[in-house]
Amino acid sequence: MVLSQKLHEAFKGTVERITGPRTVSAFKEKGVLSVSEFVTAGDNLVAKCPTWSWESGEPGKRKPYLPPEKQFLITRNVPCLRRAASVEEEYEAAGGEVLLDDEDNDGWLATHGKPKETKSDEDENLPSMESLEISKNSSIKQIPSYMGPEEEEDIPDMAEFEDPSNVIETDPSTYLVAHEPDDDNILRTRTYDVSITYDKYYQTPRVWLTGYDESRMLLQPELVLEDVSQDHARKTVTIEDHPHLPGKHASIHPCRHGAVMKKIIDVLMSRGVEPEVDKYLFLFLKFMASVIPTIEYDYTMDFDLGSSSN
Amino acid sequence: MDNLLQFSPMQSSVDEGFWHRLSSLKLNKLGIDDSPINIFGFYAPCSHSQVSNYLTVLSESLPSELSEASLIPEPSRGNRNRCSVPGILYNTNTVESFHALDKHSLLNKEAAKIWDDILTGKAVEDCSLLSRFLVISFADLKKWTFNYWFAFPALVLKPPATVVNLKPASHWFSVAEAESVSAACNEWRSSKLTADIPFFLVTIDSNSRATVKLLKDWEACRSNAHKILFGFYDPCHLPNNPGWPLRNFLALISARWNLNSVQFFCYRENRGFADMMKSLVGEALITVPQEWKDTMPNVVGWELNKGRKVPRCISLAQSMDPTRLAISAA
Repeated sequence: MVLSQKLHEAFKGTVERITGPRTVSAFKEKGVLSVSEFVTAGDNLVAKCPTWSWESGEPGKRKPYLPPEKQFLITRNVPCLRRAASVEEEYEAAGGEVLLDDEDNDGWLATHGKPKETKSDEDENLPSMESLEISKNSSIKQIPSYMGPEEEEDIPDMAEFEDPSNVIETDPSTYLVAHEPDDDNILRTRTYDVSITYDKYYQTPRVWLTGYDESRMLLQPELVLEDVSQDHARKTVTIEDHPHLPGKHASIHPCRHGAVMKKIIDVLMSRGVEPEVDKYLFLFLKFMASVIPTIEYDYTMDFDLGSSSN
Repeated sequence: MDNLLQFSPMQSSVDEGFWHRLSSLKLNKLGIDDSPINIFGFYAPCSHSQVSNYLTVLSESLPSELSEASLIPEPSRGNRNRCSVPGILYNTNTVESFHALDKHSLLNKEAAKIWDDILTGKAVEDCSLLSRFLVISFADLKKWTFNYWFAFPALVLKPPATVVNLKPASHWFSVAEAESVSAACNEWRSSKLTADIPFFLVTIDSNSRATVKLLKDWEACRSNAHKILFGFYDPCHLPNNPGWPLRNFLALISARWNLNSVQFFCYRENRGFADMMKSLVGEALITVPQEWKDTMPNVVGWELNKGRKVPRCISLAQSMDPTRLAISAA
């Protein structure tokens, strides 16, 4: 494994330049990140997956320990073609989920694409992120966004004021998608803004979700829970103030992130793969995909994960 | 008979932070002053085969309360996911004045800026001036509801442009050309200097080598290039229609360079990298009468709300109303 040794050298060199040795050992021993490791890992994510970018957020909410222009990471307009809730109904019918690691009782679920297949080795500790095979005919109901004028009686119903002045000229060069019928079988594509902040207390990254309906109107955070793996929706996803943006957003609570990342790192090391801190967010996002399986954000990896398929 | 070239309209997306900042600007600084506010929005090329990109406004789109002298926000440059578009906001004080706004003349006023920048050549120097937008709004700060309507002014070619041979770029280019165009575009998109410049030229020499150039290099390109395409960041994901920014681009190309046949390149990405399967190339045929330049073309661009000519409305009482916040915190 000459390459992995070289990577390891590069890794050690980089980390030693940026951080003290105590922080380095915390990454491998506890699965946590220092502030500068978060920035390093974020820089690497932005470089490899350019749909992600650093942002500075609200000036009043800036954290002094992070660079002003690198307060958090965000990828906008990420499609979510189906509700995780309805995916799971089908999935459970096909064999159910595998609860990981009972002894620690941390409740993370593996979303194995092939139920019934039992694995005895340590692979089970890694939440499997194989993309789920989902049949296209899943019926997804239209969930109204709470912002619609019909929902609040206080709102003057602007829909009554359909503009008589004909401001929208008929223009043959404008392509208008045919009106979507109000049919429950129509797939409702939601989109998400997914952001990653640094959680100082848990010393891990933390994922936040802002959802939009198919006409890009803001979704009530509670409706976001339909796009979270149902076990997590009840347990680990909370609705809180975003540390850098206004408003309430759904967030995957980071209390177990360090422990799960530590397991992922242990599995890699047991396979002889030396984990590198700048790849942390790729591993982290792969792990997050077990919580939000239908939100198609980018975490393409171009490095050896120590795949057991050899 | 050629087919009419039909463009997919730009769509708006408003981040919650935009309304938060507008509210505090209104309460703490503007008061009843309802003069128009310069804002900016941003968009990026389409990056997923199922969803288009939107023109997004967020809190930084508005001037900060703290900025003393100028009320003009400064867009940060060099972010590849944020190509900035200048816009203007008309926020009225009452619902009646919101409805009384003359939408026709407001749209024409913004379009006139685009047309003027085309004729003077400013839009060739700074192509972000080719797309503009306007928002009219009424912010009800007692109920924390916001009524608003976006418009993306587009100059109308008369007669409309027709299109021949619209197909995926990977079919239009040879294999060598497609590879070279991909590489050149990826380089353009990863340089801080050019990442957010949404209109460009693609030249291909006789050895299938592609180069991406600024619009102002047009004269130099036309004399030595083997093939020239007019490229733009296409926010649209549809397989058979280019997105809205091409409209004003075609107006510029015909008004300034008198071309009747334009090879256009709808640049789209997959996961942040050039995707020649999703990008489109086509040839637009334009017949423009001589007197066209003397008067401003017609303009279209008000956004439809689920196919209807009505404004949109959002209620943020849950996250903004202090009494509700107090109750939920108790």
